[in-house]
Amino acid sequence: MFLRTFLRPIIMHQNRREFLRFSSSVAEASSSESTESSIDESDLPVRMENPFRKERVQCVLCKHQISPDYKNVKLLSQFQSPFTGRIYGRHITGLCKKMQRKVEQEIVKAQKSVLMGTVTKDVQFFKDPKLFDPEKPIRPHKY
Amino acid sequence: MPSYEALVILRQMPRQEVITTLKRTAEAIFSKGGFIRKLDNLGHRTLPFRVFEHGIIHKTGTAFNITFDSPSKVVFDLNEEYGRDVDIVRSNIFKAEEPVKIKCTLQEELQPPAYRKGVIRMLRIARKGQKEKYPLNTGLNYYPFQK
Ligand SMILES: [Zn+2]
Repeated sequence: MFLRTFLRPIIMHQNRREFLRFSSSVAEASSSESTESSIDESDLPVRMENPFRKERVQCVLCKHQISPDYKNVKLLSQFQSPFTGRIYGRHITGLCKKMQRKVEQEIVKAQKSVLMGTVTKDVQFFKDPKLFDPEKPIRPHKY
Repeated sequence: MPSYEALVILRQMPRQEVITTLKRTAEAIFSKGGFIRKLDNLGHRTLPFRVFEHGIIHKTGTAFNITFDSPSKVVFDLNEEYGRDVDIVRSNIFKAEEPVKIKCTLQEELQPPAYRKGVIRMLRIARKGQKEKYPLNTGLNYYPFQK
């Protein structure tokens, strides 16, 4: 096994040298032409898109195409703090600018029409699945 | 005629009275030249906070959502009329909106500051206000420009 793996390159090398000698002796004049024509087209580099390019990052609501609505209190209360009822900022929720703005507008509408608390979060939504972790914001903040 | 959504919260009362109050609120729209597209019952609920309205503190209420079309000047009159109604705890009229179609820009927002559009614009504005500086190594023994 050892011998085979390590001797093969040498043998191949010898073969190649012999082949070169042979070709040069037979057709010296057409040597340049023959090398050009012998290029295999399938071995050439192919133009293609970068296969390592990462997928475009999207926020939760844009990804699933959810539109926040002031009647959908269950969704909106997920962006509310359970301690103070305040709306979490963009650095915590991880939403894009426009979506965050829309969520905030809808929460204010819901609060105006007494569907949602302003300083409290409804207890029945406390065990809802978490969309983000307020302890680990995307960007650091001063608190 | 644009579409509107009225979210009305009626105070806690017997079923028959709820029906009459709801009829009254609906007829207010009809009498002003609007028409109703949809009427949803959002259910009897405990309010998230106490609401002091018409001399009573309300803790529960029944929410109704009325989607209607009407001339835009009617909205003011409706708000005024619903505000006077003793059986209505809170009423709000919003514009009926279709689901938003937003192109997500989170990818651009997560870039480092130097690549963010807003930061680049801010830097350009800051550079605009600065006075132009000339190099001092002109080879002359005096400053050729006005100081
Ligand atoms: Zn988004």
